[in-house]
Amino acid sequence: MAETGATASRNRRTLILLLAPLTILLGVFFLIPLGIMVVYSFLEPGLYGGVEWNWYPYNYGRLIGWPLNDYEVFDPIYLKIFLNSLQIALMTVAGTLLLSYPAAFWVASMKGPRKSLVLFLVALPFFANMLVRIYAWLLLLRPTGFLSTLLESTGLIIEPLDLLFTNFSVIVGMVYVLTPFMFLPIYANVEKLDYSLVRASRDLGATNVQTLWRIILPLTAPGIIGGSVIVFIPALGNFIVPSLLGGSKVQMTGNLIERSFLQSRDWPFGAALALLIMAFVVVLFSLQFSRQSKSEGQGTR
Amino acid sequence: MKNVQNVSPCLMAIAVSAGLATPAAAEGSLSLYNWGDYISPDVIDKFGKEFNVAVTLDTYSTNEEMLARIQAGATGYDLIWPSVHMHDTMQKLGLLQETGVNKMPGFENIDPGALRSKEDPAADYCLPYAWGAVGILYNKTAIPELTSWQQFFDYGAANPGKIAMLDDLRETLGVGLIMTGASVNSANPDEIAKAEEFILAQKPNIGAFAYDVIPLVTSGDMAAAHYYVGAVLNVNQNPDLLGFVVPQEGATMYQEDICLLASAPNRDNALKFLEFMMRPDVSAMNTERLTNGSVNLKAIELLPVELKNNPSINPPPETRAKLQIFEDLGKALRVYTRAWDRVKTN
Amino acid sequence: MFERIMSSKGWWRLFQAYGLVFLIFLYLPLALIFVYSFNANPINMAVWTEFTFDWYKTIFFGAGTAGSFDAAFTESPDRIFEVVRNSAIVALSASTISTVIGTATAIAIRRYDFVGKKVYQALLVLPMIVPDIVLGIALLIFFVGAGFELSLLTVIIGHTTFLSSYVFVVVSARLAGMDMSLERASADLGAGPLTTFRRVTLPQIMPGVVGGFLLAFIISLDDVVITYFIAGVGSQTLPLFILAMMRRGLRPQINALAILLLSFTFTVAAIGLYLRSRKS
Repeated sequence: MAETGATASRNRRTLILLLAPLTILLGVFFLIPLGIMVVYSFLEPGLYGGVEWNWYPYNYGRLIGWPLNDYEVFDPIYLKIFLNSLQIALMTVAGTLLLSYPAAFWVASMKGPRKSLVLFLVALPFFANMLVRIYAWLLLLRPTGFLSTLLESTGLIIEPLDLLFTNFSVIVGMVYVLTPFMFLPIYANVEKLDYSLVRASRDLGATNVQTLWRIILPLTAPGIIGGSVIVFIPALGNFIVPSLLGGSKVQMTGNLIERSFLQSRDWPFGAALALLIMAFVVVLFSLQFSRQSKSEGQGTR
Repeated sequence: MKNVQNVSPCLMAIAVSAGLATPAAAEGSLSLYNWGDYISPDVIDKFGKEFNVAVTLDTYSTNEEMLARIQAGATGYDLIWPSVHMHDTMQKLGLLQETGVNKMPGFENIDPGALRSKEDPAADYCLPYAWGAVGILYNKTAIPELTSWQQFFDYGAANPGKIAMLDDLRETLGVGLIMTGASVNSANPDEIAKAEEFILAQKPNIGAFAYDVIPLVTSGDMAAAHYYVGAVLNVNQNPDLLGFVVPQEGATMYQEDICLLASAPNRDNALKFLEFMMRPDVSAMNTERLTNGSVNLKAIELLPVELKNNPSINPPPETRAKLQIFEDLGKALRVYTRAWDRVKTN
Repeated sequence: MFERIMSSKGWWRLFQAYGLVFLIFLYLPLALIFVYSFNANPINMAVWTEFTFDWYKTIFFGAGTAGSFDAAFTESPDRIFEVVRNSAIVALSASTISTVIGTATAIAIRRYDFVGKKVYQALLVLPMIVPDIVLGIALLIFFVGAGFELSLLTVIIGHTTFLSSYVFVVVSARLAGMDMSLERASADLGAGPLTTFRRVTLPQIMPGVVGGFLLAFIISLDDVVITYFIAGVGSQTLPLFILAMMRRGLRPQINALAILLLSFTFTVAAIGLYLRSRKS
């Protein structure tokens, strides 16, 4: 009895020792900063940056229409920007999904060293610097860039294409940067796909489309959903891609946040916007999390 | 340091980084925080060698970004290059310290007309550095000669997407204010709304709001772009291809002063640097690279003829009269910010 | 077996062709930078003039080693060296510390049960979910408020915070497949906790630890957004430097710098992927 008591207390000590570093790190440099940000979003912006310590919920009023005072006017522009960000993020999810889904089956259909090689090739660009990958599209999409020059020389177009600095160029850039995040979860799912079900479906006379829709898609849904969530999150808060490929004409909430802090000196408003994105993401993720743990529960027990 | 092998790589890295925060090689150090491409590397080299000081240079692209970072406690810097209105703001905020630059040898070279700061009319704090107009850089194969904003916007209307404006709320709304006949420092919401409307009407034709337009205009991706007079450097390299103009309707002008931060760690070296920058030969060497207007009267005499006689760099009095300089707006800045948010989004 | 599903030959070919298109989509943009980095044309990269190593030379030896156009188009080697050194210091420190911390946490979570474990685990992955820009700003506000001077140290702290979560996840995945009875057997045989860790636990989870370290290293080396907000004087990293260069215009030197950076990260990544495939 004394023996186990001693073990228990030693275990407790080890546990605390092992958990302490990360707990402290996350507590001090993650939770407290987020907490301060929440507080700041309710304070008055200082004239030259920073905050005045006055209760000032009107930053949210400007954003969502309530509460307001004489100085803060509700401007639907900010919701419009947010909706535009949502739209771009959703298009990015759709783009990465359309590209990655067939590709996952393609890789899964291979065998042996060839498969390892292709998998390696697909994973490698994931490690390339994000900026460099965006930069590459800047080179491709410029009016005097690769794509336009190529199409002109083949006579397909006469005038140089104006692809850069549009919603399209932003979405293309994001799709390119985020594709690996979609590919890997889907591939993991496709790899484990139980082909006996697919064969059964075909043996029972289902068409290709029916098999895809009724059997393959539901079976790979966890990969699709997981991939969509981890593509959606960085797409929603992105400001580097729109500022480089959007020519600052395409506005996403990320740009607005950056500008609030580094240009218009309105920290509380920037904090309020950041919290809006954060709230959206956390809700999304907890939905996914609860879904996942529910389905896991059903599967194993 | 005997037990180097036993120190984990991370501790070593931290030790190295701590050691490098204050470079020990030279006698002292000096940290400059300046606009991108706004000081000649040769000048920095020369100063470093002559005074045996290790100079570091970081860059920013807007006054606001610089202010935000200084307020964010990026206090390792000594000298900064705020525009005049930002100089006023920062002095009011107590972020600067006196330098007595007006009592240093060489100050007699400085154009008294360049003492534009309201807070610092006698230059007790900051040294006027350079000034310039914000005009239009254009590609001569697309537009042989450009003279006015009207022509600029007309070209854009005929060739949508081929003109660019600066991604800067005050500069670009400033053009709107000029075109609607208001002061670029207007605090009147109606006037600002008119300027906003003007720019918004042009927006479908504006290819980008950007700073990095020189290569785009050079390559022909853009025909013309709202840009700083510093582009004359590129114009002079390529005079048949590029042109720069201060439009007839008028334009904004900027001037930067060199200021010493209150928190500067290397005051002595910073003062040496200010004195160094007032030397006519140094100032001329710098101006040749910047192709901005010089505030150093002796240095202007040393400039090559093509710079001295360039109407953009050294505008005739009637053009100068049409240039407006930004002032600190206080709370009215918020009206501009909101207008700018709408311009960029709608 | 897949051939049977893609029963018609036409579909099968289309499918293979799509795979190739996918790979081209992934690599063409990068290949383009590679080709452009050897193009001497200083004005329009898309128009080939002649083959040159000049842009690479300017990175190591500075302007004056290339054509007459380079002065306005190049950054000094000293400056490049400085930002590369900053990046190396940050990436090495942050990934080392986060590997230690993340691994310790993963072991604790695998080994022990405690009240609120589920919530705690959710907290651990939160830094990976929160958008970069939110984290960057929260840290900026915090550092300023707490009177930290923005420096390499603040960048290292910021990176370590979110990298620890990545390491935790990677090592946890490895631990999930580990036989915990071995640890108990080792303890029953009288080995101390440290001995057990060194002789039993560590060898089993080593691939996960190395993988976590390399992942953390590369993420840290690539990070733009968080570093953008929390870097201060003299702590500019290579990606921030490249960003500043890009914002000032597309200069040929960026191509060369990008290719050098790519070569390095690809080598590290290739080693990591190879180690992983060998172990599994």
